[in-house]
Amino acid sequence: MRTALSIQSITKVYDGLRAVDSLSMEVRAGTIFGLLGPNGAGKTTLIKILTTLMRPTSGDALVEGHSVLTEGTAVRRIIGVVPQENNLDRYLTARENLVLHARMHRMRRREFTPRIDELLELIGLSGRQHDFPDTFSGGMQRRLVVARSLVHTPRVLFLDEPTAGLDPQSRRALWEYIQSLRSKMTIFLTTHYMEEAEELCDRIVIMDHGASLADGTATELKDAFAHSHLYELEFRANTDRYEGVLRSLPCIESLERKGNVFRLSLPAEEHLKPLMDAIGSADIKRICLEEPSLEEVFIQLTGRKVRE
Amino acid sequence: MFRGAFTIWGRDMRVLRRSLFSELLAVIAYPLTLYLAFGVGLKGYIADVDGIPYSLFIAPGLISMTAVSAAFEESAWSMWFHRRVQRTIEEYRVNPISVYDIVIGKIVSGFSQGAIKGMAVAGVIFLVTPFRFPLEHFLVYLYFIAFGSMVFSCCGTVCGTVIDKPENIGRVQGVVIVPLIFLSGIFFPLSSYPGSVLPFVRMIPTTAIFEGARLALLRGVMEPEYSIILAVTAAVSFGLAVWIFNRKIEE
Ligand SMILES: Nc1ncnc2c1ncn2[C@@H]1O[C@H](COP(=O)(O)OP(=O)(O)O)[C@@H](O)[C@H]1O
Ligand SMILES: [Mg+2]
Repeated sequence: MRTALSIQSITKVYDGLRAVDSLSMEVRAGTIFGLLGPNGAGKTTLIKILTTLMRPTSGDALVEGHSVLTEGTAVRRIIGVVPQENNLDRYLTARENLVLHARMHRMRRREFTPRIDELLELIGLSGRQHDFPDTFSGGMQRRLVVARSLVHTPRVLFLDEPTAGLDPQSRRALWEYIQSLRSKMTIFLTTHYMEEAEELCDRIVIMDHGASLADGTATELKDAFAHSHLYELEFRANTDRYEGVLRSLPCIESLERKGNVFRLSLPAEEHLKPLMDAIGSADIKRICLEEPSLEEVFIQLTGRKVRE
Repeated sequence: MFRGAFTIWGRDMRVLRRSLFSELLAVIAYPLTLYLAFGVGLKGYIADVDGIPYSLFIAPGLISMTAVSAAFEESAWSMWFHRRVQRTIEEYRVNPISVYDIVIGKIVSGFSQGAIKGMAVAGVIFLVTPFRFPLEHFLVYLYFIAFGSMVFSCCGTVCGTVIDKPENIGRVQGVVIVPLIFLSGIFFPLSSYPGSVLPFVRMIPTTAIFEGARLALLRGVMEPEYSIILAVTAAVSFGLAVWIFNRKIEE
Protein backbone atom coordinates (compact mmCIF):
# COMPACT_ATOMS: atom_id res chain seq x y z
CA MET A 1 0.00 0.00 0.00
CA ARG A 2 1.06 3.57 -0.68
CA THR A 3 2.59 5.77 2.02
CA ALA A 4 0.64 9.00 2.57
CA LEU A 5 2.72 10.45 5.33
CA SER A 6 6.37 9.94 6.06
CA ILE A 7 7.82 11.50 9.21
CA GLN A 8 11.60 11.56 9.16
CA SER A 9 13.32 12.02 12.54
CA ILE A 10 11.47 15.20 13.43
CA THR A 11 12.65 17.11 16.47
CA LYS A 12 11.12 20.28 17.89
CA VAL A 13 12.79 22.07 20.77
CA TYR A 14 11.06 24.97 22.56
CA ASP A 15 13.80 26.79 24.43
CA GLY A 16 15.27 23.72 26.08
CA LEU A 17 12.14 21.54 26.10
CA ARG A 18 12.14 18.71 23.55
CA ALA A 19 8.46 18.63 22.61
CA VAL A 20 9.09 16.16 19.76
CA ASP A 21 12.18 14.01 19.97
CA SER A 22 13.54 12.58 16.68
CA LEU A 23 10.24 10.93 15.82
CA SER A 24 9.98 8.80 12.68
CA MET A 25 7.03 6.91 11.29
CA GLU A 26 5.03 6.23 8.15
CA VAL A 27 1.28 6.28 7.65
CA ARG A 28 -0.39 4.32 4.86
CA ALA A 29 -2.75 6.00 2.46
CA GLY A 30 -6.46 5.52 3.12
CA THR A 31 -6.13 4.47 6.75
CA ILE A 32 -7.14 6.12 10.01
CA PHE A 33 -4.10 6.67 12.15
CA GLY A 34 -4.39 7.59 15.83
CA LEU A 35 -1.79 9.35 17.90
CA LEU A 36 -2.51 8.74 21.56
CA GLY A 37 -0.78 10.55 24.39
CA PRO A 38 -1.35 12.47 27.63
CA ASN A 39 -1.41 16.29 27.72
CA GLY A 40 1.94 17.75 26.75
CA ALA A 41 3.07 14.61 24.92
CA GLY A 42 3.78 16.65 21.80
CA LYS A 43 0.77 15.72 19.65
CA THR A 44 -0.26 19.25 18.73
CA THR A 45 3.33 20.24 18.06
CA LEU A 46 3.68 17.33 15.64
CA ILE A 47 0.44 18.24 13.84
CA LYS A 48 1.55 21.86 13.56
CA ILE A 49 4.77 20.71 11.92
CA LEU A 50 2.96 18.35 9.55
CA THR A 51 0.52 21.08 8.52
CA THR A 52 3.34 23.62 7.88
CA LEU A 53 2.29 25.89 10.75
CA MET A 54 5.59 25.38 12.50
CA ARG A 55 9.11 24.55 11.38
CA PRO A 56 10.77 21.55 13.01
CA THR A 57 14.12 22.17 14.72
CA SER A 58 15.44 19.32 12.62
CA GLY A 59 14.09 16.56 10.40
CA ASP A 60 11.49 16.67 7.66
CA ALA A 61 8.17 15.11 6.75
CA LEU A 62 6.62 14.22 3.42
CA VAL A 63 2.88 14.58 2.91
CA GLU A 64 1.91 12.65 -0.22
CA GLY A 65 5.52 13.04 -1.27
CA HIS A 66 5.75 16.80 -0.64
CA SER A 67 8.22 18.11 1.90
CA VAL A 68 6.73 20.29 4.63
CA LEU A 69 9.97 22.28 4.67
CA THR A 70 10.34 23.15 1.01
CA GLU A 71 6.93 22.54 -0.60
CA GLY A 72 4.60 24.16 1.90
CA THR A 73 2.06 25.37 -0.64
CA ALA A 74 1.86 21.96 -2.32
CA VAL A 75 1.30 20.35 1.09
CA ARG A 76 -1.39 22.88 2.07
CA ARG A 77 -3.25 22.26 -1.19
CA ILE A 78 -3.94 18.63 -0.26
CA ILE A 79 -4.44 18.71 3.51
CA GLY A 80 -7.44 19.48 5.67
CA VAL A 81 -6.89 20.62 9.24
CA VAL A 82 -9.14 20.54 12.30
CA PRO A 83 -7.14 22.31 15.01
CA GLN A 84 -7.39 21.51 18.71
CA GLU A 85 -9.26 24.75 19.31
CA ASN A 86 -12.00 25.94 16.97
CA ASN A 87 -10.83 28.86 14.87
CA LEU A 88 -14.02 29.85 13.10
CA ASP A 89 -14.53 33.41 11.96
CA ARG A 90 -17.29 34.70 14.23
CA TYR A 91 -17.95 37.69 12.00
CA LEU A 92 -18.88 35.41 9.11
CA THR A 93 -21.91 33.11 8.91
CA ALA A 94 -21.44 29.35 8.85
CA ARG A 95 -21.74 29.31 5.09
CA GLU A 96 -19.44 32.29 4.60
CA ASN A 97 -16.80 30.50 6.67
CA LEU A 98 -16.89 27.63 4.20
CA VAL A 99 -16.94 29.95 1.17
CA LEU A 100 -13.89 31.87 2.42
CA HIS A 101 -12.05 28.57 2.77
CA ALA A 102 -13.06 27.52 -0.74
CA ARG A 103 -11.84 30.81 -2.16
CA MET A 104 -8.48 30.44 -0.47
CA HIS A 105 -8.27 27.10 -2.26
CA ARG A 106 -9.05 28.88 -5.52
CA MET A 107 -12.26 26.98 -6.07
CA ARG A 108 -14.78 28.47 -8.47
CA ARG A 109 -18.28 29.32 -7.36
CA ARG A 110 -19.96 26.65 -9.47
CA GLU A 111 -17.51 24.16 -7.99
CA PHE A 112 -17.88 25.10 -4.31
CA THR A 113 -21.60 25.89 -4.14
CA PRO A 114 -22.80 22.28 -4.57
CA ARG A 115 -19.95 20.99 -2.40
CA ILE A 116 -20.82 23.35 0.45
CA ASP A 117 -24.54 22.53 0.15
CA GLU A 118 -23.68 18.87 0.42
CA LEU A 119 -21.40 19.31 3.43
CA LEU A 120 -23.88 21.51 5.30
CA GLU A 121 -26.53 18.86 4.70
CA LEU A 122 -24.22 16.10 5.94
CA ILE A 123 -23.33 17.83 9.19
CA GLY A 124 -26.94 18.88 9.73
CA LEU A 125 -26.35 22.63 9.61
CA SER A 126 -28.26 23.48 6.43
CA GLY A 127 -30.98 25.18 8.43
CA ARG A 128 -28.47 27.30 10.36
CA GLN A 129 -26.09 28.14 7.52
CA HIS A 130 -26.83 31.86 7.65
CA ASP A 131 -26.27 32.12 11.40
CA PHE A 132 -23.05 33.15 13.08
CA PRO A 133 -20.96 30.42 14.71
CA ASP A 134 -21.03 31.90 18.21
CA THR A 135 -24.76 31.11 18.35
CA PHE A 136 -23.89 27.41 17.87
CA SER A 137 -23.38 24.69 20.48
CA GLY A 138 -19.90 23.21 20.92
CA GLY A 139 -20.83 20.16 18.87
CA MET A 140 -22.21 22.25 16.01
CA GLN A 141 -19.11 24.46 15.93
CA ARG A 142 -16.88 21.41 15.87
CA ARG A 143 -18.86 19.88 13.00
CA LEU A 144 -18.56 23.14 11.12
CA VAL A 145 -14.78 23.14 11.56
CA VAL A 146 -14.68 19.57 10.25
CA ALA A 147 -16.86 20.54 7.28
CA ARG A 148 -14.59 23.48 6.55
CA SER A 149 -11.56 21.20 6.45
CA LEU A 150 -13.30 19.06 3.84
CA VAL A 151 -14.53 21.72 1.40
CA HIS A 152 -11.60 21.22 -0.96
CA THR A 153 -11.69 17.40 -0.59
CA PRO A 154 -8.25 16.97 0.99
CA ARG A 155 -6.21 13.80 0.56
CA VAL A 156 -4.86 13.88 4.10
CA LEU A 157 -7.04 15.06 6.99
CA PHE A 158 -5.51 16.10 10.33
CA LEU A 159 -7.79 16.12 13.36
CA ASP A 160 -6.35 17.38 16.65
CA GLU A 161 -8.53 16.03 19.46
CA PRO A 162 -11.66 16.24 17.31
CA THR A 163 -14.15 15.32 20.03
CA ALA A 164 -12.58 16.91 23.12
CA GLY A 165 -15.23 18.50 25.28
CA LEU A 166 -18.24 17.13 23.38
CA ASP A 167 -21.18 15.28 24.91
CA PRO A 168 -21.49 11.54 24.14
CA GLN A 169 -24.13 12.08 21.44
CA SER A 170 -22.09 14.67 19.55
CA ARG A 171 -19.02 12.53 19.95
CA ARG A 172 -20.71 9.50 18.43
CA ALA A 173 -22.14 11.56 15.58
CA LEU A 174 -18.68 12.84 14.79
CA TRP A 175 -17.21 9.35 14.98
CA GLU A 176 -19.78 8.11 12.49
CA TYR A 177 -18.91 10.96 10.22
CA ILE A 178 -15.17 10.27 10.44
CA GLN A 179 -15.88 6.58 9.80
CA SER A 180 -17.72 7.54 6.62
CA LEU A 181 -14.56 9.22 5.34
CA ARG A 182 -12.52 6.06 5.82
CA SER A 183 -10.64 5.01 2.68
CA LYS A 184 -11.66 8.22 0.88
CA MET A 185 -8.68 9.94 2.44
CA THR A 186 -5.90 9.37 4.93
CA ILE A 187 -6.87 10.48 8.41
CA PHE A 188 -4.37 11.42 11.10
CA LEU A 189 -6.01 12.10 14.44
CA THR A 190 -4.84 12.71 17.97
CA THR A 191 -6.84 11.89 21.04
CA HIS A 192 -6.59 10.89 24.64
CA TYR A 193 -9.87 9.03 24.59
CA MET A 194 -9.20 5.29 24.45
CA GLU A 195 -12.64 4.38 23.10
CA GLU A 196 -12.11 6.85 20.30
CA ALA A 197 -8.82 5.29 19.30
CA GLU A 198 -10.26 1.77 19.53
CA GLU A 199 -13.41 2.65 17.66
CA LEU A 200 -11.83 4.55 14.80
CA CYS A 201 -8.17 3.79 14.28
CA ASP A 202 -6.61 1.16 12.08
CA ARG A 203 -3.35 1.81 13.79
CA ILE A 204 -2.39 3.51 17.04
CA VAL A 205 0.85 5.04 18.20
CA ILE A 206 1.14 5.89 21.87
CA MET A 207 3.52 8.79 22.43
CA ASP A 208 4.86 10.66 25.41
CA HIS A 209 7.61 13.24 25.90
CA GLY A 210 7.86 13.59 22.14
CA ALA A 211 8.71 9.97 21.45
CA SER A 212 6.78 6.94 20.28
CA LEU A 213 6.33 4.28 22.97
CA ALA A 214 4.21 1.68 21.18
CA ASP A 215 2.81 1.12 17.73
CA GLY A 216 0.15 -1.28 16.44
CA THR A 217 -3.57 -2.04 16.24
CA ALA A 218 -5.57 -1.79 19.45
CA THR A 219 -5.56 -5.58 19.79
CA GLU A 220 -1.82 -5.84 19.17
CA LEU A 221 -1.09 -3.20 21.78
CA LYS A 222 -3.23 -4.96 24.36
CA ASP A 223 -1.62 -8.31 23.64
CA ALA A 224 1.87 -6.91 23.78
CA PHE A 225 1.67 -4.60 26.75
CA ALA A 226 -1.06 -5.83 29.06
CA HIS A 227 1.39 -8.46 30.40
CA SER A 228 -0.32 -9.39 33.58
CA HIS A 229 -3.31 -11.67 33.61
CA LEU A 230 -5.87 -10.30 35.98
CA TYR A 231 -8.43 -12.61 37.55
CA GLU A 232 -11.34 -12.02 39.83
CA LEU A 233 -12.14 -14.76 42.27
CA GLU A 234 -15.19 -14.91 44.53
CA PHE A 235 -15.83 -17.44 47.34
CA ARG A 236 -19.11 -18.38 48.97
CA ALA A 237 -17.53 -19.35 52.32
CA ASN A 238 -14.31 -19.68 54.30
CA THR A 239 -12.87 -16.62 52.62
CA ASP A 240 -10.35 -15.96 55.39
CA ARG A 241 -8.91 -19.44 55.10
CA TYR A 242 -8.55 -19.07 51.33
CA GLU A 243 -6.80 -15.75 51.78
CA GLY A 244 -4.11 -17.55 53.75
CA VAL A 245 -3.73 -20.12 51.01
CA LEU A 246 -3.55 -17.49 48.28
CA ARG A 247 -0.99 -15.42 50.17
CA SER A 248 1.24 -18.46 50.47
CA LEU A 249 1.30 -19.12 46.71
CA PRO A 250 4.50 -17.76 45.14
CA CYS A 251 3.04 -17.48 41.61
CA ILE A 252 0.62 -14.70 42.56
CA GLU A 253 2.07 -11.32 41.70
CA SER A 254 -0.46 -9.15 43.46
CA LEU A 255 -3.51 -9.73 45.54
CA GLU A 256 -6.31 -7.42 46.68
CA ARG A 257 -9.29 -8.37 48.76
CA LYS A 258 -12.70 -6.72 48.92
CA GLY A 259 -15.15 -8.67 51.05
CA ASN A 260 -15.41 -12.12 49.51
CA VAL A 261 -13.84 -11.05 46.24
CA PHE A 262 -10.14 -11.23 45.38
CA ARG A 263 -8.37 -9.55 42.52
CA LEU A 264 -5.13 -11.21 41.65
CA SER A 265 -2.64 -11.15 38.84
CA LEU A 266 -0.62 -14.04 37.46
CA PRO A 267 2.49 -13.73 35.31
CA ALA A 268 1.13 -16.24 32.77
CA GLU A 269 -1.79 -18.56 32.10
CA GLU A 270 0.24 -21.67 33.08
CA HIS A 271 -0.01 -20.64 36.72
CA LEU A 272 -3.77 -20.96 36.72
CA LYS A 273 -3.76 -24.73 37.15
CA PRO A 274 -1.49 -24.88 40.25
CA LEU A 275 -3.64 -22.12 41.72
CA MET A 276 -6.83 -24.05 41.16
CA ASP A 277 -5.25 -27.21 42.56
CA ALA A 278 -4.29 -25.35 45.72
CA ILE A 279 -7.73 -23.89 46.46
CA GLY A 280 -9.93 -26.63 45.05
CA SER A 281 -13.33 -25.85 43.64
CA ALA A 282 -15.62 -26.52 46.60
CA ASP A 283 -16.22 -22.94 47.75
CA ILE A 284 -15.64 -21.02 44.53
CA LYS A 285 -18.63 -18.96 43.48
CA ARG A 286 -17.13 -17.23 40.47
CA ILE A 287 -13.80 -16.87 38.66
CA CYS A 288 -13.26 -14.65 35.68
CA LEU A 289 -10.49 -13.23 33.51
CA GLU A 290 -10.42 -9.45 33.16
CA GLU A 291 -9.92 -8.27 29.58
CA PRO A 292 -6.90 -6.01 29.29
CA SER A 293 -7.95 -2.54 28.17
CA LEU A 294 -6.20 0.00 26.02
CA GLU A 295 -6.42 2.37 28.96
CA GLU A 296 -4.39 -0.06 31.03
CA VAL A 297 -1.75 -0.18 28.30
CA PHE A 298 -1.78 3.59 28.12
CA ILE A 299 -1.36 4.08 31.86
CA GLN A 300 1.31 1.44 32.02
CA LEU A 301 3.31 3.16 29.26
CA THR A 302 2.79 6.77 30.24
CA GLY A 303 2.55 6.50 34.01
CA ARG A 304 -0.04 7.61 36.53
CA LYS A 305 1.24 11.07 37.24
CA VAL A 306 -1.17 13.88 36.32
CA ARG A 307 0.08 16.24 33.61
CA GLU A 308 -0.18 20.00 33.55
CA MET B 1 -0.46 36.66 -7.85
CA PHE B 2 -1.81 37.76 -4.46
CA ARG B 3 -5.22 36.24 -5.01
CA GLY B 4 -5.07 35.13 -1.41
CA ALA B 5 -4.50 38.74 -0.31
CA PHE B 6 -7.48 39.77 -2.39
CA THR B 7 -9.63 37.06 -0.76
CA ILE B 8 -8.67 38.20 2.75
CA TRP B 9 -9.27 41.83 1.87
CA GLY B 10 -12.64 40.81 0.44
CA ARG B 11 -13.53 39.15 3.73
CA ASP B 12 -12.64 42.29 5.69
CA MET B 13 -14.64 44.54 3.39
CA ARG B 14 -17.66 42.22 3.61
CA VAL B 15 -17.53 42.44 7.41
CA LEU B 16 -17.06 46.23 7.28
CA ARG B 17 -20.05 46.59 4.94
CA ARG B 18 -22.31 44.95 7.52
CA SER B 19 -21.62 47.59 10.12
CA LEU B 20 -20.67 50.47 7.86
CA PHE B 21 -23.32 52.88 9.08
CA SER B 22 -22.55 52.56 12.78
CA GLU B 23 -18.80 52.57 12.11
CA LEU B 24 -19.05 55.79 10.14
CA LEU B 25 -21.25 57.40 12.74
CA ALA B 26 -18.70 56.58 15.42
CA VAL B 27 -15.76 57.72 13.37
CA ILE B 28 -17.30 61.04 12.33
CA ALA B 29 -18.34 62.04 15.85
CA TYR B 30 -14.79 62.69 17.11
CA PRO B 31 -13.34 64.94 14.39
CA LEU B 32 -16.65 66.74 14.13
CA THR B 33 -16.54 67.47 17.85
CA LEU B 34 -12.99 68.78 17.52
CA TYR B 35 -14.05 70.88 14.57
CA LEU B 36 -16.97 72.41 16.45
CA ALA B 37 -14.95 72.96 19.64
CA PHE B 38 -11.84 74.46 18.07
CA GLY B 39 -12.89 75.66 14.66
CA VAL B 40 -16.22 77.18 15.64
CA GLY B 41 -15.87 77.58 19.41
CA LEU B 42 -12.55 79.43 19.26
CA LYS B 43 -13.38 81.36 16.12
CA GLY B 44 -13.53 84.71 17.85
CA TYR B 45 -10.26 84.17 19.72
CA ILE B 46 -7.92 82.91 17.04
CA ALA B 47 -7.12 85.15 14.16
CA ASP B 48 -6.25 83.77 10.75
CA VAL B 49 -3.27 81.40 10.63
CA ASP B 50 -0.91 82.29 7.78
CA GLY B 51 -3.79 84.14 6.18
CA ILE B 52 -6.21 81.25 6.40
CA PRO B 53 -9.28 81.22 8.68
CA TYR B 54 -8.58 78.91 11.65
CA SER B 55 -11.55 76.61 11.03
CA LEU B 56 -10.32 76.09 7.50
CA PHE B 57 -6.76 75.66 8.73
CA ILE B 58 -7.66 72.66 10.91
CA ALA B 59 -10.08 70.95 8.49
CA PRO B 60 -7.52 69.05 6.36
CA GLY B 61 -5.75 67.80 9.50
CA LEU B 62 -8.97 66.44 10.94
CA ILE B 63 -9.61 64.45 7.79
CA SER B 64 -6.04 63.11 7.69
CA MET B 65 -6.15 62.33 11.39
CA THR B 66 -9.31 60.27 10.96
CA ALA B 67 -7.85 58.39 8.02
CA VAL B 68 -4.51 57.47 9.60
CA SER B 69 -5.94 56.64 13.05
CA ALA B 70 -8.56 54.42 11.47
CA ALA B 71 -5.87 52.69 9.40
CA PHE B 72 -3.68 52.11 12.46
CA GLU B 73 -6.52 50.98 14.64
CA GLU B 74 -8.00 48.58 12.13
CA SER B 75 -4.66 46.99 11.29
CA ALA B 76 -3.44 46.65 14.86
CA TRP B 77 -6.65 45.34 16.41
CA SER B 78 -7.66 43.19 13.50
CA MET B 79 -4.26 41.51 13.32
CA TRP B 80 -4.23 40.98 17.08
CA PHE B 81 -7.81 39.66 17.09
CA HIS B 82 -7.28 37.25 14.20
CA ARG B 83 -3.98 36.07 15.62
CA ARG B 84 -4.73 35.81 19.34
CA VAL B 85 -8.49 35.64 19.82
CA GLN B 86 -10.10 34.01 16.82
CA ARG B 87 -6.89 32.35 15.65
CA THR B 88 -8.16 32.71 12.09
CA ILE B 89 -4.59 33.51 10.98
CA GLU B 90 -3.86 29.86 11.72
CA GLU B 91 -6.73 28.81 9.49
CA TYR B 92 -5.48 31.10 6.71
CA ARG B 93 -2.03 29.56 7.07
CA VAL B 94 -3.11 25.97 6.43
CA ASN B 95 -4.56 27.03 3.07
CA PRO B 96 -2.48 27.21 -0.10
CA ILE B 97 -1.78 30.93 0.17
CA SER B 98 1.48 32.54 1.23
CA VAL B 99 2.34 34.49 4.35
CA TYR B 100 2.68 37.52 2.06
CA ASP B 101 -0.94 37.11 0.97
CA ILE B 102 -2.04 37.32 4.58
CA VAL B 103 -0.01 40.33 5.65
CA ILE B 104 -0.62 42.26 2.44
CA GLY B 105 -4.34 41.51 2.62
CA LYS B 106 -4.46 42.84 6.17
CA ILE B 107 -2.41 45.95 5.37
CA VAL B 108 -4.65 46.80 2.43
CA SER B 109 -7.72 46.29 4.63
CA GLY B 110 -6.39 48.78 7.17
CA PHE B 111 -5.55 51.17 4.38
CA SER B 112 -9.05 50.83 2.93
CA GLN B 113 -10.68 51.52 6.28
CA GLY B 114 -8.55 54.63 6.66
CA ALA B 115 -9.40 55.86 3.19
CA ILE B 116 -13.13 55.19 3.54
CA LYS B 117 -13.40 56.83 6.95
CA GLY B 118 -11.26 59.80 5.92
CA MET B 119 -13.52 60.37 2.93
CA ALA B 120 -16.61 60.17 5.14
CA VAL B 121 -15.23 62.89 7.40
CA ALA B 122 -14.24 64.95 4.37
CA GLY B 123 -17.82 64.65 3.11
CA VAL B 124 -19.28 65.80 6.41
CA ILE B 125 -16.87 68.75 6.75
CA PHE B 126 -17.73 69.66 3.19
CA LEU B 127 -21.42 69.64 4.12
CA VAL B 128 -21.19 71.64 7.32
CA THR B 129 -18.68 74.28 6.17
CA PRO B 130 -18.83 76.87 3.44
CA PHE B 131 -15.28 76.11 2.24
CA ARG B 132 -14.82 74.73 -1.24
CA PHE B 133 -11.65 73.30 -2.78
CA PRO B 134 -10.76 72.93 -6.43
CA LEU B 135 -10.72 69.29 -7.58
CA GLU B 136 -6.99 69.40 -8.44
CA HIS B 137 -6.20 70.28 -4.82
CA PHE B 138 -8.22 67.34 -3.69
CA LEU B 139 -6.38 64.92 -5.98
CA VAL B 140 -2.99 66.03 -4.61
CA TYR B 141 -4.44 65.73 -1.13
CA LEU B 142 -5.44 62.11 -1.87
CA TYR B 143 -1.77 61.31 -2.44
CA PHE B 144 -1.01 62.27 1.16
CA ILE B 145 -4.03 60.54 2.64
CA ALA B 146 -3.28 57.35 0.71
CA PHE B 147 0.38 57.15 1.67
CA GLY B 148 -0.35 58.28 5.21
CA SER B 149 -2.96 55.54 5.66
CA MET B 150 -0.50 53.07 4.20
CA VAL B 151 2.23 54.04 6.70
CA PHE B 152 -0.13 53.84 9.65
CA SER B 153 -1.67 50.60 8.45
CA CYS B 154 1.81 49.05 8.30
CA CYS B 155 2.66 50.36 11.80
CA GLY B 156 -0.61 48.94 13.07
CA THR B 157 0.14 45.60 11.47
CA VAL B 158 3.53 45.50 13.19
CA CYS B 159 1.92 46.29 16.57
CA GLY B 160 -0.81 43.69 16.09
CA THR B 161 1.83 41.15 15.10
CA VAL B 162 4.38 41.59 17.89
CA ILE B 163 2.17 42.68 20.80
CA ASP B 164 0.29 39.91 22.57
CA LYS B 165 -1.43 41.85 25.34
CA PRO B 166 -4.27 44.10 24.20
CA GLU B 167 -3.56 46.78 26.84
CA ASN B 168 -0.13 47.27 25.29
CA ILE B 169 -1.66 48.08 21.92
CA GLY B 170 -3.74 50.70 23.71
CA ARG B 171 -0.56 52.10 25.29
CA VAL B 172 1.24 52.36 21.96
CA GLN B 173 -1.76 54.26 20.64
CA GLY B 174 -1.78 56.64 23.57
CA VAL B 175 1.96 57.18 23.92
CA VAL B 176 3.19 57.07 20.32
CA ILE B 177 0.42 57.45 17.79
CA VAL B 178 -1.73 60.18 19.32
CA PRO B 179 1.23 62.49 20.24
CA LEU B 180 2.74 62.01 16.80
CA ILE B 181 -0.52 63.02 15.20
CA PHE B 182 -1.28 65.99 17.46
CA LEU B 183 2.27 67.39 17.45
CA SER B 184 2.44 67.37 13.66
CA GLY B 185 0.54 70.61 13.49
CA ILE B 186 -3.10 69.73 13.13
CA PHE B 187 -4.13 72.60 15.38
CA PHE B 188 -1.17 74.94 15.04
CA PRO B 189 1.24 76.04 12.33
CA LEU B 190 4.68 74.40 12.32
CA SER B 191 6.16 77.90 12.62
CA SER B 192 5.21 77.69 16.31
CA TYR B 193 8.16 75.34 16.81
CA PRO B 194 11.48 77.03 17.70
CA GLY B 195 13.66 77.48 14.64
CA SER B 196 16.30 75.10 16.01
CA VAL B 197 14.00 72.04 16.13
CA LEU B 198 11.93 72.86 13.07
CA PRO B 199 14.20 71.07 10.54
CA PHE B 200 13.87 67.88 12.60
CA VAL B 201 10.13 68.24 12.98
CA ARG B 202 9.89 68.60 9.22
CA MET B 203 11.63 65.27 8.77
CA ILE B 204 9.16 63.29 10.89
CA PRO B 205 6.92 61.31 8.53
CA THR B 206 3.75 62.37 10.34
CA THR B 207 4.66 66.01 9.66
CA ALA B 208 4.99 65.09 6.02
CA ILE B 209 1.51 63.57 6.14
CA PHE B 210 -0.29 66.40 7.91
CA GLU B 211 1.58 69.44 6.70
CA GLY B 212 1.85 68.02 3.19
CA ALA B 213 -1.86 67.25 3.15
CA ARG B 214 -2.77 70.74 4.34
CA LEU B 215 -0.58 72.44 1.75
CA ALA B 216 -2.11 70.19 -0.87
CA LEU B 217 -5.70 70.88 0.04
CA LEU B 218 -5.45 74.57 0.75
CA ARG B 219 -2.89 75.65 -1.81
CA GLY B 220 -2.80 72.78 -4.29
CA VAL B 221 0.98 72.40 -3.93
CA MET B 222 2.74 69.08 -3.85
CA GLU B 223 5.67 69.83 -1.58
CA PRO B 224 8.53 67.67 -2.97
CA GLU B 225 10.31 67.16 0.34
CA TYR B 226 7.17 65.91 2.07
CA SER B 227 6.04 63.70 -0.78
CA ILE B 228 9.43 61.99 -0.98
CA ILE B 229 9.71 61.46 2.78
CA LEU B 230 6.22 60.00 2.77
CA ALA B 231 6.76 57.67 -0.18
CA VAL B 232 10.03 56.38 1.29
CA THR B 233 8.45 55.89 4.72
CA ALA B 234 5.55 54.01 3.17
CA ALA B 235 7.90 51.71 1.26
CA VAL B 236 10.09 51.06 4.29
CA SER B 237 7.22 50.46 6.69
CA PHE B 238 5.55 48.14 4.20
CA GLY B 239 8.73 46.09 3.83
CA LEU B 240 9.23 46.07 7.57
CA ALA B 241 5.66 44.99 8.32
CA VAL B 242 5.83 42.13 5.83
CA TRP B 243 9.23 41.02 7.11
CA ILE B 244 8.26 41.16 10.80
CA PHE B 245 5.00 39.29 10.21
CA ASN B 246 6.83 36.64 8.24
CA ARG B 247 9.42 36.15 10.99
CA LYS B 248 7.02 36.16 13.89
CA ILE B 249 4.43 33.86 12.39
CA GLU B 250 6.86 31.13 11.33
CA GLU B 251 8.17 30.92 14.94
N1 LIG C 1 4.66 27.64 21.79
C1 LIG C 1 5.23 26.92 22.78
N2 LIG C 1 6.28 27.41 23.47
C2 LIG C 1 6.87 26.67 24.43
N3 LIG C 1 6.48 25.45 24.79
C3 LIG C 1 5.43 24.90 24.16
C4 LIG C 1 4.75 25.61 23.10
N4 LIG C 1 3.75 24.82 22.64
C5 LIG C 1 3.81 23.68 23.36
N5 LIG C 1 4.81 23.72 24.27
C6 LIG C 1 5.19 22.64 25.20
O1 LIG C 1 5.52 21.52 24.42
C7 LIG C 1 5.01 20.32 25.00
C8 LIG C 1 4.13 19.61 24.01
O2 LIG C 1 2.92 20.36 23.85
P1 LIG C 1 1.79 19.94 22.84
O3 LIG C 1 2.38 19.62 21.54
O4 LIG C 1 0.75 20.99 22.88
O5 LIG C 1 1.25 18.61 23.53
P2 LIG C 1 -0.15 17.86 23.37
O6 LIG C 1 -0.85 18.40 22.18
O7 LIG C 1 0.22 16.42 23.21
O8 LIG C 1 -0.92 18.09 24.63
C9 LIG C 1 4.31 20.74 26.28
O9 LIG C 1 5.20 20.55 27.36
C10 LIG C 1 4.02 22.20 26.07
O10 LIG C 1 4.03 22.87 27.30
MG1 LIG D 1 -2.70 19.19 22.00
